[in-house]
Parts: sequence; structure tokens; C-alpha cells
Amino acid sequence: MGTNIFSASLSGMNAAQFGLSTTEHNIANASTPGYNRQVVELSTLAAQSTGSGFLGQGVSVAGIKRIYDQFITTQVRQEQAQATYLSTYHSSLSQIDNMLADPLAGASPAMQQFFDAMNAVANSPESVPARQTLLNSAQFAASRFQAIEQRLSEISEGLNGQISNTVTTINSYAQQIAALNGNIKRATANESAGRLPNDLLDQRDQLVNLLNKEVRATVQVQSNGTLAVFIGNGQALVVDEEPMALGTVQSAADPSKLDVVYRYRGNVVPIPSSNLQGGNLGAFLAFRDQSLEPARNELGRVALGLAMSLNQQNQMGVDLNGAAGGALFTAATPRVSQGAHNQGAAGISAAAITDVGKLTTSDYQLRFDGATYSMLRLSDNAVTNFGGVPGTFAVDGFEITLSAGAVAGDTFLIRPTANGARDIAVAINDPARIAAATPVRANASLDNIGTGRIAAAVVSSGLPLNPNLQNPVTLTFNDPATSYSLTFSNASIAGDVVDPIDPLVTGPTSVVTLASTANLTVGDPIVGGGFPPGTTVGSITNGTTFVAQMPVGGATNPPAPASNQTLQIGSYAYTPGADISFNGWTTQISGAPAAGDTFTVTANTNATGDNSNALKLAALQTKNILANGSASFQGMYGQLVAQVGSKTNELSVTSQAQTNMLNATIAQQQSVSGVNLDEEAANLIRYQRAYQAAAKAMQIANTMFDTLLAIGA
Amino acid sequence: MRISSNMIFDANVAALSQQQAQLLKTQQQVATGRRVMTPADDPVAAARALDIAQSDAMNTQYASNRNAARHTLSLAESTLQSVTSLLQDVRTAVVGAGNGSLNNSDRKTIATELNGRLQELVGLANSTDGLGNYLFAGYQSKNQPFMDTPAGMGYFGDDGLRMMQVGASRQMSATDSGADIFMRIKNGNGTFVTQAAATNTGTGTIGLGAVANPAALTGATYTIEFGTRIAQAAAGNVGTGAITTPEVVNPAALTTNNYSVVFDATGANFDVVDTTSVPNVTVLAAQPFTSGQPIAFDGLQFNIQGTPAANDVFTVSPPVGDAYTVTNNATGLPVPGMMAQPYVSGQAISFDGMRVDIQGAPSGGDKFTVSPSTNESVFKTIENLITALNTPISAATVNGMSQLTNSLGRGLNNLDHALNNVLTTRSSLGLRLNEIDALQATGEDLGLQYKQALSELQDVDYNKALSDLTQQQTYLQAAQKSFSMVSNLSLFSYI
Repeated sequence: MGTNIFSASLSGMNAAQFGLSTTEHNIANASTPGYNRQVVELSTLAAQSTGSGFLGQGVSVAGIKRIYDQFITTQVRQEQAQATYLSTYHSSLSQIDNMLADPLAGASPAMQQFFDAMNAVANSPESVPARQTLLNSAQFAASRFQAIEQRLSEISEGLNGQISNTVTTINSYAQQIAALNGNIKRATANESAGRLPNDLLDQRDQLVNLLNKEVRATVQVQSNGTLAVFIGNGQALVVDEEPMALGTVQSAADPSKLDVVYRYRGNVVPIPSSNLQGGNLGAFLAFRDQSLEPARNELGRVALGLAMSLNQQNQMGVDLNGAAGGALFTAATPRVSQGAHNQGAAGISAAAITDVGKLTTSDYQLRFDGATYSMLRLSDNAVTNFGGVPGTFAVDGFEITLSAGAVAGDTFLIRPTANGARDIAVAINDPARIAAATPVRANASLDNIGTGRIAAAVVSSGLPLNPNLQNPVTLTFNDPATSYSLTFSNASIAGDVVDPIDPLVTGPTSVVTLASTANLTVGDPIVGGGFPPGTTVGSITNGTTFVAQMPVGGATNPPAPASNQTLQIGSYAYTPGADISFNGWTTQISGAPAAGDTFTVTANTNATGDNSNALKLAALQTKNILANGSASFQGMYGQLVAQVGSKTNELSVTSQAQTNMLNATIAQQQSVSGVNLDEEAANLIRYQRAYQAAAKAMQIANTMFDTLLAIGA
Repeated sequence: MRISSNMIFDANVAALSQQQAQLLKTQQQVATGRRVMTPADDPVAAARALDIAQSDAMNTQYASNRNAARHTLSLAESTLQSVTSLLQDVRTAVVGAGNGSLNNSDRKTIATELNGRLQELVGLANSTDGLGNYLFAGYQSKNQPFMDTPAGMGYFGDDGLRMMQVGASRQMSATDSGADIFMRIKNGNGTFVTQAAATNTGTGTIGLGAVANPAALTGATYTIEFGTRIAQAAAGNVGTGAITTPEVVNPAALTTNNYSVVFDATGANFDVVDTTSVPNVTVLAAQPFTSGQPIAFDGLQFNIQGTPAANDVFTVSPPVGDAYTVTNNATGLPVPGMMAQPYVSGQAISFDGMRVDIQGAPSGGDKFTVSPSTNESVFKTIENLITALNTPISAATVNGMSQLTNSLGRGLNNLDHALNNVLTTRSSLGLRLNEIDALQATGEDLGLQYKQALSELQDVDYNKALSDLTQQQTYLQAAQKSFSMVSNLSLFSYI
């Protein structure tokens, strides 16, 4: 009986020691990340059957259990992946958010300054200082675009580094988890069921948590205690003791980007970005593909629009020296790259923007399926088919020229606006080259008797300009002054006089080529050009040529009229205020001209004071040019700012909400598994007291023995 | 609920950092005065602010455009003010020069004075803006617009107007063409101009005339000639032939005989017969007829137009007293009903929508022309006046004084037109300056509205921000204090 007391006390002291140790362990690991508190599980020892009944034999330590809730842990992981995703996306996007709308650093003030300077040139077109200021402002605007693009490009390059780092981290976690799998497998195999290596499990769970900060991963516990980890759409990252590896390669479609791939037994399988969600990796990929690149494209489109539309208008004017205006800016060309896996020899030989108003901010993929070339717009997957012959393909405001030799499956990536902001630069450094004046001017003769007035002539045809634009043209009013004829010298008379078989019946004819035969009617008189009096327009053959019909019975063999002679042609009905268009210009005459009154449209020489083209250049500021005529440059830029701003705002709010949710879940998990030091302090006292009590019992047993032995002495 | 000791720290740290972030943001708002620090703070306001900032900047730009336009317009206005007083001085001098008591040397003195004024006027017309840009040269602002040429003062500018963007939807011409101000001045009465021929020997003077019926105007030039032969078709003519007013080509060979042009039975040939001589003398025999071909004999020349019929007759008779004939120079035919009209000094002569009057005593052969008004530059007008004043009037010449009167009258009339033209331009300048002032007021209002809108969008409300700041400060202090209290609570302190 005494031994029974000894052994029972001993078991109690033992159990108290286990409790104290576990409590110490809990206290020591109170702030260890991923630590789940442990408790000692006690049970009674098998009772000894006596005549008086079953006698208790003391306590035994059944095991040490970690307090762990699988459900909450999984929830924490999922929320962790999402929270990291949102906060990383938010902090990435915040980098560009502020830069775009900054009142000093953004592109909007620079564009405003440029157009202010353009207005100053319009106010005093002869002023070289005003023109110099304009060039400086143009330089400022161009370098602002470049600087923003430079920063975005740095962020993009930085992202490649961050993606690689994240992939390395993921691989490292995978290896650690695989190693722990092995340890846990062996530890559990040696032990009877229910006794688990708690701290190893905690470490592995914590690694899975950390992994979820990088990318969303799902886990499955295997029967041997190992954990299978999957990422993406089911790619196994860890199976048993074997870790798989992720890697990064240059994107097949766009060499400036990195793609994430899955390496498995020598195979390299690309994982689509859309499958890598959550965590830092998901955030980096989403930021790059959904925010950064679209923002760069949009910025490029604004820069391209500014450069190209100003170039076009400048080319429609003449500069301070009277020379035709050139390009103010150098404008970017589309960025093209060949698919990394292309097998054929085809290459893109030329790429150009043709209509800046039609440009979208999307990227495009040109594909050849063996029979048909087609262009895929990546933003909405719209497809344009071009048939099976390589050549120049035009879509959405740009065109590319593809050489022959493509084989089925070849692809080309075209980014029409990606270079826009990077490549914008001021093309001229001579202030005089700003074309503030219109190439032609209209004048009424001082000898005119009537009250007719002629409006300023404007360039009405697009680029390239009509080669005859500046050829002098005189409008002379006929008698009566209800019609006028044109005198000009740009008629080319093709071929010789054609003598019909009997010139006395039909008269000789000659073919005359003009810039345009619009407004010409059959029977209009033609004077000059070597034609005999009475020559008329015989027939109009097409838009630019007509047949001059010489009079019947005139010279039977008239001399061949020479080219580039002054011709007076036509009898155009006069309508006050109606457009008069010729050689690519348009003007109007109003009032009541008298017979013989003349008006001239000539080259606008010495026009230092003409600001009409500068006004048109300045008016481009508010003209809706971009996106099929729906937005101005600054309007479009404002949209970009609003898009980035609202996305940042959205992410800021959702990220905060997600973090709060994560914290709530962690609090729940901690309320189950976390260490409470007060509780542990109480446990310390409890186990101390238990130990003291058990020891006291042993002392009593000892006293009992002493008493017993004393009886015998 | 169980609380883990870690949670007490984690939750408090998270709460403190959140509160600190809030506090920092409010403090930044107060420090910068901006509510929207980044577009993410309020994307809608940020985009609107960009829009409004652009509109505001453009509005400011229009204001400086208006200043530039006002400067140019004011320069033109003050120059034209000088031109106005100069022309008024010239006019006064010319009126004085018409005084009959002045002698040739008095008039020469006035001419010299006018010459000085003319040079001054050229200087004003060639005014620059102080930077060497000519005000009245159209687009060619670096080229001197007015320069003397052998043919008189020439204009070397153009009709170009410099438009300026003085409002969002208003472009205003800030310059005026020199041609419109100084060159395009209609002479005469603005529709037609009357002039006495220099060869006139009588004392007839012709008035400016007036338009009686604008619809009847033809735009042709007419000659009112005194003492012309009377040429007319016989009453019984069948054909459409019309005879022009005979012209005296050789006064020495003139006779006072009556002549008839008689067509033969084919209508293709005609004879000219002197019907006064007895017997009649055939001056020209069996001439083939071509419409419009001159027929000349005995110092006379005329032609017959149209298609005369067989045996048609046209007569040419000597002049009757002071009668005059009005001939349309374009056709050479007399104006219907204006053949050999009796002359009464000062009585209206009306034809083809025009009404003129001639006063004094024209001699036979004196001619007055009525032609459509042409442009006469103000320089030319003054030059003509100088020439007229420099032309000495000899006492022997009968009509010297009436020629001077004719010239001065014409010159004064043209001067008035020129003055009127300048005043019209000035009133247009004034209107534009007024409009600029109106636009300026609107622009300033608009600018104020933009600034207010911008401020409402992105500026901080200091009352709210400071109150928020105090509140957040209090919360943070409370959190810090309570955290230190809570974290001090531990059972370990008691064992």
C-alpha cells in the first residue's frame, strides 16, 4: 500500500513537471510567430483492483497537444494572401499616383505652359523671343513626358527584380516545407498515434503562411503527415519531400517583361499571370499588366497625339523665313517585337502611326495561323483578318509592314503607343522654324471698283499639301459680274494638239491636266495657254483632266499649246460668301464685285506678321483629337490621372478592409491558439502547487513508512 | 473570449499606427492647405481639378492675349487720331485755298504746306509698334507698307488681318489693313465720279451728282459733250442698226452740212450723201457695211452697229446751240433720250439711274465724263490738290478759276471720304477696345469662379482640418495612455 502512495505521488510530481515545462515553453514562445500554445494532456493510470474496489494508481501524461484549429488557420492563410496582394498593389500604384497629377511634376502643367507660349507666338508672330520661349516650353513638355515615362520604366524594371525575388523566396519556402515534411514524416512514424511533433508542425504551418504572403497556395494534409502544397491552377509546389521550382523567363511575347514558369523534371511550363493570384507575386503581376503598362500606353498616346497633331498643323503653315513648316516634335513609332518562339523568317520592316485620333491604348498581337494573318487587339480580343498575303496591315490608326516567310503559329507583339512618351523630342532648334503663317494669302486689287471683299485664304486640303498651293491664282470677274474666271499657270497640257480628221467640223482638241476640275463645266471659255480665241472646255475626262476644244474653222493646224502657261479658265457662277476652293486652298468672296474686278491668292511671302497658323496650333489645346475625337490631350491626361487615382483609392480602401478582416481572423485564431501570459502564470502556480502536494503526499508516505518501521524497532 | 497576450500588443500597435497615419495626413493637409494630396484621396476631385486648372490657365492666357490686342489696337487708334486731325487741317487749308482773292503765290504757299502734311501722313501710315513692326502692313509687318513709286504712293502690304484669341470663342482682328484705311477710298460720290475734261474752254463746272435709281446703274462710263453732231436713225428704218455719237477727229475739215447714210437694196452696202449741198453730193459711195466699223468723212467719225435693213437711212446734222449729248462710252451710242438736249445751267441731267448738274457756260466741244468711282488713295488726293494749287492761273485763261474750283471741289470731296474712312476705322477700333473691356470683365469673373471651384475641390477646410487634428490627437493620446496601462497588467507582477 505504501509503495502505491509513492508511485502515485511520483506520477503526480512527474505530471506537474511536464505541466511546468510546457508552461515554460509557452511563456518562452509567447511571441514566436506561428506558435500554437501547447497543453499537457493528463489521464489517470489504470486502477488496481483490490478487494475493496479499484484503487487509483496516480496520473500519467497522455501527451502534449498544440491548441490548433485547422479551419481558422486555413482562413488566415487565404486572407493573408489577399491582404498582402491588396497592400502590395496599393503601395506599388501609389508610386505613380502622385507623380501623374502633381501640380509641378505632372505633364498637365507642362502642356499648359507649352500652349501658353503658343498663344504668345500667336500674339506677336514676328517676335523671336516669343518663339524661343515656345521652343523652351516644347522642350519642357517633351522632357516632362520623358521623365514620367522614365520613372514608369524604372518601376517596370524594378518590378522584374521584385518578381524574381518573390519567385526565389517561394522556391526557398518550398524547400523548407519539403524538408520539414521529411522530418515530420519520420517523427510521426516513430511515435504512437496522437503524439505529434508540435513545434515542427508549427514551423511548417508558419512557412505556409509566409508562402501565402508571396502567392496564394492551397494545402492538403497527406496520411503520412506530409503536406502537399499547390499554387496557380493546381501546380504542385511541394509533394512529400520533393520541392518543385518556379522560375522566371523573358516573356515570349514581350522581351521587356518577365514571365513566371513552372519547372518540373526538365520541363518549363509558363504559368499565365491570371493564374497567379494573391500575395506579392499576384500584386506585382496585376500591377504591371493592369495598371502600369496601360498607364504607359495612355501617357504615350497623349504624347503621340500632342506631337503628331502639332506636327501636322505646323506642316500646313510657313515659317518666319517663308519656308514650308516641318515637324515640331519627333514622334514615336510603334514598338514591335517578334515572338520568342517564332519559327518563320518573317519580320516587321516598318511600323507607323497613321491616324493619331484612332489610336487605342491597347497592345496588339499579329498572328499567322498558316492561312490567314490576323491582328488581335489584346484589350478586348477583337480580331481583324487580313487574308493570306503578307504586306502592309492597317488597323486602329497604325500600320505595319510584314515581310513574307511567316509560318503557322508565329506572332508579333505591336505596342503602338508604348514608345510615345519615351521618344517625344523637340525636332527643331531654330525659333524661326515655327510655322505661324498660312502659306497663301488673298488680296483684293486696289483697282477694284465693286465692293467685293475676299476672306483670308485657308489651307483646306490635308497633308501632303497640294504642290500647286502657292501658285498665284487670279480671280477675274466677268461682265456681267455674276461669274468669274480663274487665271493660273499650273495647268500642264498633256500631249500635242490632237487634230481630228476634219478640224473644220469639230475643231482640234488638247488634253489639259489641272489640280482639280471641280467647278469646271463643259463650254467654259479658256483664254491663254496658246489656245486660239474661242477655245472652250470640250469634255471633262476625270477629276484632274479635261479636253480643250478649239473652235471650228480656226487654224486648221494650231500650234501645240505649251505646258505651264497661264490659263484663264472657266466661268464660275458667283455666290457671295460661298467657298471658293482651288489648288488646296479655300476662300470666300462677299459683297458686290464689279466686272473686271480681280482678286488674287498668292504665296504669303514676307508674312512675318501673319499668325493665322499659330492660332490654329494654339487651338489644338482644346480640340478633341484623341480617342476618335472624344478627348483633348489634357482631357485624356486627366482621364489617366482619374483612372490611376480611383484605382489607388479603391485599393487603399479594400486593402484597409482586408487588413482589418485579416486582423480579426488572426485575433480569432490567437484567441484559440495564442499564449496568454496570465493564464500561463496561473498554470505555473497550479503546477507548482500540484508538485508541492504530490511531494507532500510522498512525505506522508515516508512518514507512514517511518511509523511502520518504528513499530518494529 | 480568450485573449492572447500577443494580441494585446499587436492590436494596439496596429491601432496606434493607423491613428498616427491619420494624424499625419491631417497635419499634412493643414501644412499644405490642400485637401487632396494625391489623386487617390479623391479621384473625381483630382480629375476635375486638372480640368478646371486648365480652363483657368487658358482664361489667364486669354487675358494676356487681350492685353496684347489692346496694346496693338490702342497704338492704331492713337495713330489714326493723329491722321484724323491731320486730314482736318488739310481740309481747312484746302477750303481756304478756294478763296478767289488768293493769288498764285498764295496758293503755292498753301501747296508747300500741304506737301509737308503729306510727308507727315506717309510717316503716320508707316507707323511701327516700337519694335519695328509696321502697324498697317497686313501680314508683312517687317516691310515698309507705303512707298513712293513713279505711279504715285504704292501699298506694299497686304489685306492680312492679325486675329487674336481674346476669348474662348472669340477671335478679334487686332490690326487693320493699310489698304483699307489709306488706299481703298472711293472717289466721286462713292458710286460715280464726274470730271471736266482738261481741254474744256468754257466755264462749266460739274457737280458730284447723285444716284437716282440704283437699279438702273450700268457701271459704264459716260461722256456729256456739248455741241455734238446729232446722229439718229430715220423714223422709217426697218433694221436694228444704231448709230454712235459722231466724234470730231479733224476740226479743220468740219462742215455745217447735213449728211445721210443710205443703205442700198441689199442692205449690205451704203452711201454717205451730203444732203445740204445742192445737188446732193455722195461723200462715200457703195461702202460694204460691217457692224461697228468706223465710218469717217469730213472730219467726223462714227459707226453703225447692229443689222440695218435694206434702204435704211441714218442722218448726221450739225449741233443745235448749247445742246449736249450723253454718250455711253462702252458702246459709243448716245443714251436714249439724251441726244441734243438743251442745256440750262444748274438743271439736273438724269440718265441710267444717275443725276448730275453742270453750272456755268460750257463751250461747244467741252466734255464732262461720268465714270464709276474708283479707289483713290488719300495720298493721291492730297497730291492732286498740291498739283492743282501749284498750277498757276493766268488772267488770260477764261476757265482757269473754274478748273481750280473743279479740282478743289473734287479734292475736298475725296478728303471727306478719306476722313470718313479713317473715322469708320477708328469707330471699329473703339468698338473692339470696348469689347475687350467687356470680355476682360467676364474673364475676371470667370477666373474668380474657376479659382473658387478649384479651391472647393482641393483646398482644405481649415476649421474641419484643425478640429480633426485635435480630435485625432486626443484619440492617439488616449490610445497611448491606455496601452501603457493595459500592458502593465500582468499576473507576473504579483508572483
